[in-house]
Amino acid sequence: MASKPRAKQDRSLVRIHAIRQWLLTHGRVARSSGWRLLAQPGSSLLTAFVIAVSLLLPALLFALNSNLTQLLAEFRQDRQISLYLQDTLKETEGLQVSEDLLSRPDIAAVDFISSAQGLLEFSAASGLGEVLLQLPSNPLPATILVTPVSEEAALIDALATELGLHPAVALVQIDRLWRQRLQAISRLISVAGSGLGVIVVLGLFVIVGNTIKLAIENRRMEISVIKLVGGTDSYIARPFLYSGLFYGSVGGLLATVLQLIVLYLVNIPLRDLLKLYDSAFVLQGFDLSGAMLLILAGASIGWVAALIASLRHIWSLEP
Amino acid sequence: MITFDKVSMRYGDGGTALTNISFEIKKGELAFVTGHSGAGKSTLLKLILAMEKSSGGQLIVNGVNVNRITRRRIPYHRRQIGTVFQDHQLLLDRTVFDNVALPLEIAGFDPRDAARRVRAALDKVGLLHKERLNPAKLSGGEQQRVGIARAVVNRPRIILADEPTGNLDPELSAEVMRVFEQFKSVGVSLLVASHDASLITSLHYRTLTLDHGRLVADQPELKHGQQAAR
Repeated sequence: MASKPRAKQDRSLVRIHAIRQWLLTHGRVARSSGWRLLAQPGSSLLTAFVIAVSLLLPALLFALNSNLTQLLAEFRQDRQISLYLQDTLKETEGLQVSEDLLSRPDIAAVDFISSAQGLLEFSAASGLGEVLLQLPSNPLPATILVTPVSEEAALIDALATELGLHPAVALVQIDRLWRQRLQAISRLISVAGSGLGVIVVLGLFVIVGNTIKLAIENRRMEISVIKLVGGTDSYIARPFLYSGLFYGSVGGLLATVLQLIVLYLVNIPLRDLLKLYDSAFVLQGFDLSGAMLLILAGASIGWVAALIASLRHIWSLEP
Repeated sequence: MITFDKVSMRYGDGGTALTNISFEIKKGELAFVTGHSGAGKSTLLKLILAMEKSSGGQLIVNGVNVNRITRRRIPYHRRQIGTVFQDHQLLLDRTVFDNVALPLEIAGFDPRDAARRVRAALDKVGLLHKERLNPAKLSGGEQQRVGIARAVVNRPRIILADEPTGNLDPELSAEVMRVFEQFKSVGVSLLVASHDASLITSLHYRTLTLDHGRLVADQPELKHGQQAAR
């Protein structure tokens, strides 16, 4: 009876020992693979850089798309109809029209912007102040911004059409139209990004696979000796798998850094542009989870590519 | 430990390497394989290591039917066999110590355990003081002895040696054979391919003679009393 728990304990000790041994072996192989890559910093960095640039393209497209989506979400709140009034209309008449509109049950709010007020705001926001003020006459019409009660596109459409018939209104504009255009563009970018992503992944398989293939060729002698003294295929493949993993993760890391640089450079003119639109929009793409995803994607592509190359090239060697 | 039963080996191009070979090496037995170059000595060793596949007959090594071994099992089969190669097959990108440690590293030994065994093996071939050197810096004889240390470090049940004394002077050859005899005395089976006639005749061990792929003579080991008659 007493020996049973002891046997159990022994078995678990053996298992712990085996796991420890396994971890130690992997640590050693990982270290030596790392050193091997560092021994040729130029070519290793070049490989990682190629991976980084390849990953950067779809990553930027996806960043662009997520920014667009966010931008669209901001405009979704904004269901305004802009009514541009006839320029023959006096300001008091325009104000009267807007007050009449406010009394309608299907309109939640109106905002009357006189042509003079519009010119002031535009000249301040665009930085063209002096030029605009020198114009002989004000080119901007008076505007009424109508906020409908309903959020439904069809009802807003109907309201816009009805308001367009009002004799004081010269032109009706719904923000929804260019929102739809943006949505279509966003879908297009998403599809293009996915397609490019697939191509990039295939390309990376070829690049990493070829690098690993060359490394295997260079160590043919070593591999044959290892085989003769009883090394399994997985033992032989292990350092190459770590190489692929390192190439991929360093490539992913580099891609993150490059993406940060690109987004930073884009952000400067973008901020000025958004200021013109009076938007609270903040450029996305700096977040940690995105960076982690990119590094993880690089690492897994590198590892899988190395696995495929190892299987093909180590398997083909004499047993 | 090693049983050849009517084993034949033909190469893909139709050339015959071995024809109808039958013999048995028992536990704790040391045997020489001799014959002119190209007689099939190396092929015989390659069959045992599953580096080549025989085209007929049955070959049992250490209880394993080598003819029917799967690719997956081959590495584990080879771990039971220590092999001394003619061209010693050392890796020049690592030290003598690391070369000898390779089979232990592959088998997943604890590094401290492995270090003890590596030093014991190097001591046995008299190269303990050169463990930190690169094998390229050693003489041919020393390289051969590093190869022997690597073959025995795993304490295999079988040791195969292909011309292990090829690069050695008679004194070192005798030294190497003494190392082999130590292993024989603890129950290891050894098969030594050699064309060093003077070494073979001086030691009186069982001798298998190959000629054009056929086993033409199987001279048994001579006991002390019989030596005069030879």
